[in-house]
Amino acid sequence: MDKHPYLRAYLAGIAVPTVFLLVVMTAYTLIRYVYDVPIAVEKVIVFPMAAVPNAWGLWNVLYLAFVQRRHFSLGVFGGVLPLLLAPGGYAVTRLLNFSVPAEVFHVAPFALPIGIIVYYLAWKYFVGFLNAELGIA
Amino acid sequence: MNEHEVNEMKKLLQRAVKATGQAEPQRDLWPAMLRKLSEKAVRVPWWDWVLLAGTSLVLCFFPGMVPALLYHL
Repeated sequence: MDKHPYLRAYLAGIAVPTVFLLVVMTAYTLIRYVYDVPIAVEKVIVFPMAAVPNAWGLWNVLYLAFVQRRHFSLGVFGGVLPLLLAPGGYAVTRLLNFSVPAEVFHVAPFALPIGIIVYYLAWKYFVGFLNAELGIA
Repeated sequence: MNEHEVNEMKKLLQRAVKATGQAEPQRDLWPAMLRKLSEKAVRVPWWDWVLLAGTSLVLCFFPGMVPALLYHL
């Protein structure tokens, strides 16, 4: 069980957002096609579908490679990731000329700390559990 | 090293390393080991419960955050 630790870290990292992607896709589909909300989310859906899970996988590889040996908390390390993803997600919307609803900007000052807390808990418990199960904790 | 020296060395070692009276444990330790392995419960500290409760409350009061969070998850 000591082969390819970085591959196992990557797989453990992408597993959690991949599962949540089902929830995200269901929510988006309901919003767009059931409730007919006139927002072309399919233009920016590539971000949660591709970029976010890969970012989680790579972030877990970085944790295993450089951070874990310093006994730094996995939850706190995961909580830093929204600080990169939030600007990345916003950049994607700008690049694709996606008009972000005004309500999103109103809640943005509160959404970032909430996102950090959600990521902290998800990384500490979900990714931490998978890392332990795969023998890389 | 001749035979006499080997015997001397043997005696010295036997004097230095005392025999352990009982090599086997008095009871079977395997059931306790199995019990310990099955106890793998996750301990959640109180501040994580506070964070979880606070986050849930905020999301209830500001549901507009949910799509933004889902987008980044």
